[in-house]
Amino acid sequence: MLTERSVDIISPRLSRGEEMSKPSDLVQGTLGLLIMKILALEPLHGWAISQRLKQVSGDVLQVSDGSLYPALHKLEQEGWIQAEWKPSENNRRAKYYALTPLGKQELENEANNWRRLSAAISLVVDLRGA
Amino acid sequence: MRVRRLFYTVPLRLRSLFRRRNVEQELDEELHYHLEREIENNLAMGINVEEARVAALRAMGGIEQQKEKCRDTRRVNLIEDLIKDLRYGFRVLAKSPVFTGVAILTLALGVGANTAIFSVVNELLIRPLPFRNADRVAMVWEVTPEGRHQNTTSRANFRSWREQNTAFEEMSAFSDQRQTLSGDGEPEEVSVQLATPELFQVLGVNALIGRTLNQDDGRAKSPGVVIGYSIWQRRFGGDPQILGKPVVLNGSPLNVVGVMPAGFEWHIRSRSGTGKPAEMWKILNMPTEGPDTLGRFLSVVGLLKPGATVEQATSEMKVIETRIGEAAPQYNKGYGVEVLPLREQFVGNVRPALLVLLGAVGFVLLIACANVANLMLARAAARHKEIALRAALGASRFRIVRQLLTESLLLAFLGTVVGLAFAWWGIRALVAVSPADLVNLRDVGINLTVLAWTLAVSIASGIIFGLAPALEGARLNLNDALKEGGKGEGGQNARSRRLRSVLVVVEVALALVLLVSAGLLIKSFTRMQNIDTGFDARNVLTMVVPLSGTKYQQDKPCIDYFREATERITALPGVKGVGLVNYLPLYGGLGCSTGFTIAGQPTMPPGEGPGCNVRVSDAGYFGAMRIPLLRGRVFSDVEDSEVKHIAIISESLAQQYFPGEEPIGKVISVEMFDKPNPTEIIGIVGDVRYDSLINLPEPTVYFPIPELTYSFMTLAIRTTGNPASIAPSVRNILHEMDSTQPVSDVRTLEQVMGTTLARSRFITLLLGLFAGMAMLLAAVGIFGVMNYSVTLRTREIGIMVALGAQPSQVQKMILRQGLLLTAAGVGIGLAAAVALTRLLSGLLFGVEATDPITFGVIVVLLTAVSLIACYLPALRATRVDPLIALRFE
Repeated sequence: MLTERSVDIISPRLSRGEEMSKPSDLVQGTLGLLIMKILALEPLHGWAISQRLKQVSGDVLQVSDGSLYPALHKLEQEGWIQAEWKPSENNRRAKYYALTPLGKQELENEANNWRRLSAAISLVVDLRGA
Repeated sequence: MRVRRLFYTVPLRLRSLFRRRNVEQELDEELHYHLEREIENNLAMGINVEEARVAALRAMGGIEQQKEKCRDTRRVNLIEDLIKDLRYGFRVLAKSPVFTGVAILTLALGVGANTAIFSVVNELLIRPLPFRNADRVAMVWEVTPEGRHQNTTSRANFRSWREQNTAFEEMSAFSDQRQTLSGDGEPEEVSVQLATPELFQVLGVNALIGRTLNQDDGRAKSPGVVIGYSIWQRRFGGDPQILGKPVVLNGSPLNVVGVMPAGFEWHIRSRSGTGKPAEMWKILNMPTEGPDTLGRFLSVVGLLKPGATVEQATSEMKVIETRIGEAAPQYNKGYGVEVLPLREQFVGNVRPALLVLLGAVGFVLLIACANVANLMLARAAARHKEIALRAALGASRFRIVRQLLTESLLLAFLGTVVGLAFAWWGIRALVAVSPADLVNLRDVGINLTVLAWTLAVSIASGIIFGLAPALEGARLNLNDALKEGGKGEGGQNARSRRLRSVLVVVEVALALVLLVSAGLLIKSFTRMQNIDTGFDARNVLTMVVPLSGTKYQQDKPCIDYFREATERITALPGVKGVGLVNYLPLYGGLGCSTGFTIAGQPTMPPGEGPGCNVRVSDAGYFGAMRIPLLRGRVFSDVEDSEVKHIAIISESLAQQYFPGEEPIGKVISVEMFDKPNPTEIIGIVGDVRYDSLINLPEPTVYFPIPELTYSFMTLAIRTTGNPASIAPSVRNILHEMDSTQPVSDVRTLEQVMGTTLARSRFITLLLGLFAGMAMLLAAVGIFGVMNYSVTLRTREIGIMVALGAQPSQVQKMILRQGLLLTAAGVGIGLAAAVALTRLLSGLLFGVEATDPITFGVIVVLLTAVSLIACYLPALRATRVDPLIALRFE
């Protein structure tokens, strides 16, 4: 059970064998979860997402700007988020991403998975004795 | 869920593919927007401009790398790479036009031959037959006690079959006859099919206008007739009011009751009385009693019940046939029965030949592939540096193989396009050389099925010839390749050289198999051509004279007409002899044979007596055909005009039934007449092969015309010059004698016989052609490999020469290498040929499938050809200048 899941942590969405950038300090794949969670609140462009990530995680999760865009494009190609060019808050054209109905479902599934998984890991980590 | 996803993903994928520029631009804009915001942010934090930029870029981690990663998410890489590879492949091919040209031409030959032959296979063996229930339609034939297959049956037997069987839903009997259509315009001989009305149900066809035949058509005062589409157009101008109009066939009036749709054709060549498709259909009368019920002249076709198999039908028919044989042994003892599915009936005689040809073109294609693979291997060596560079820049081995394979497939595709053009010509040539009587190739062409096959063949060949060079090309040691890269040929390793030698050996082996097969067929064909048929087919014109109408109902007018005709034709200049016979030898249609008894010899039990062919002829026939008179005499003038109860027999009849006796003067009675008709033997003539070229001649009895008068006879006219040139004058004479009577089937005797040799000639010609192609390609392959080998060994040869080797020694060395390859190929080829030529045995006549002489001749021929192919490279080797050679590196 545990080993199976731990494989999932490393590449939960990469079952098709594709390669994606590996964020150094973030378990890969959870980045997608975070992005979708942020987009569930409101549509944002890439830079705003990166700022929001830093804010909400209190700088614990270091997301490099480099890994953000491939992750966004991947989510878009999966059909979970949708992009639209709109004038930004400083009145320039920017690409805004929004969660699709499919993405909402996916987010729920992923969030549930994450909760189960982190609970399980916590249990193991907090085990007493050897 | 999945479907809803497509709603989002499909437009994205399409956009990535077809609006690539926009997508790229947006990606660029998106990343730059991020950078700008980041820089602004940094500036706001009080960092100076330059540092703000650098920090933003560093955070991004390289803008181009990020772009590439984003591109990777688009899921269309495979297609994009393919397009890139194709473009690159085109450039590479265009850069070496000679290589590309030779490769395309080689492949085009292979693909073209394959497509042409497959189009025939598709037409004859695969395409559904144009009848509604074609897979349930089967012919039912008798097998004579002598073992002759596809023999016609009698009315009485057909009646028993139809009444007693349970396997067939319906059964119909039919028989083709020549009849004369008169009325408006010239009298015309047409092929009329007499059939029981169920024929049309069995075949599942309806009339275009009116109806098909029914039982009443036989009883009515002016019986009904159904006409074919083409005669309706040709003779009746497509008259829409044709129904109910009278037509006159053989002098008796009939009513048109229906017109068949265009393209409807029901022609069974075996035992057809006319040898051509019927254009009119009349009711076949089925008397229940009398001698008419016993003659065997009916072909039978049946519609199997759904679910009934041919095997079931066969075993049931055999039971019925045995019962018939026991009930009337005097007529049916020893007869067997066979059920042939329609496809088998139509193409059973050409299927083995076609499959052999399909195999042969497959071999040709394989040889072509081997040649192209060889060319590509040689080129791969020259491209080592380029490939090494790509590998060094991060291309995976898989990626390189893919790119090289794409090039091969591109080459295969180009070869296919040219090959299709070759095939188009090839099919026309095929149709031209295939005799019309053998199989119907009218509709052969390149259709979708053929194209699909060609495409499959093309892709397969692209992989066959491309895979080895691609794998070989991608297998490289980067270090070595880049170090030696400048030398071009340096990357060529022993593995690759060995691979090329293997390819040549395979080519030679394949070519040997094809050449041996062709050699066997050629030998068999000449054997067939040299069979003593018993007559001389050169310079003889033949034509059928069918007399019809009330005037010729009696024997006398027919006898007189034929006598006058032969007399007047004999008087023509250039005519050496004229004869008449009811059925020509080897014309491929119905004959006439029966049983007989010999006076003074014990009578055999019914059905077990001797059998013979029966021919009706005049005295002139033997001279005109150059059938030798061995003893006695031929018919006299009197016997040619009056019944004198005499007959001539053939040599084999004399030997078999009068051993050690003098047959002349003896009396035999042939079961051909309403009452016993003893006839005296007056002469013995040489044997003639009437039914089959390859079987032994059947014992034959000849009657003069008055003895057994036929209203239709065939003229055989021996001429001094070209027999065809005499045809108009003969037609004139016949027209003058009676303008209401047509003539038909005006052909030379060689043309008549041609149909018998046609299948053999057809396959021999084609296989010979393919074997020739194979030999040529193999020779080119040997030449290529040896020539290249000399290039590689230039330095070695230079040293040899420098050390005092004579040119002849150098030449010998190269020739020895070539011969070694050839010998290996010949050895493998011989083993393969011994195993494979067995498949030919059904097509061979008078030659064993392992005929040592043919094998020997072919081995010598192929070795000689490969020696010639090695000679030029060997000559080049002798001209190597040691100084230049040593400076070569």
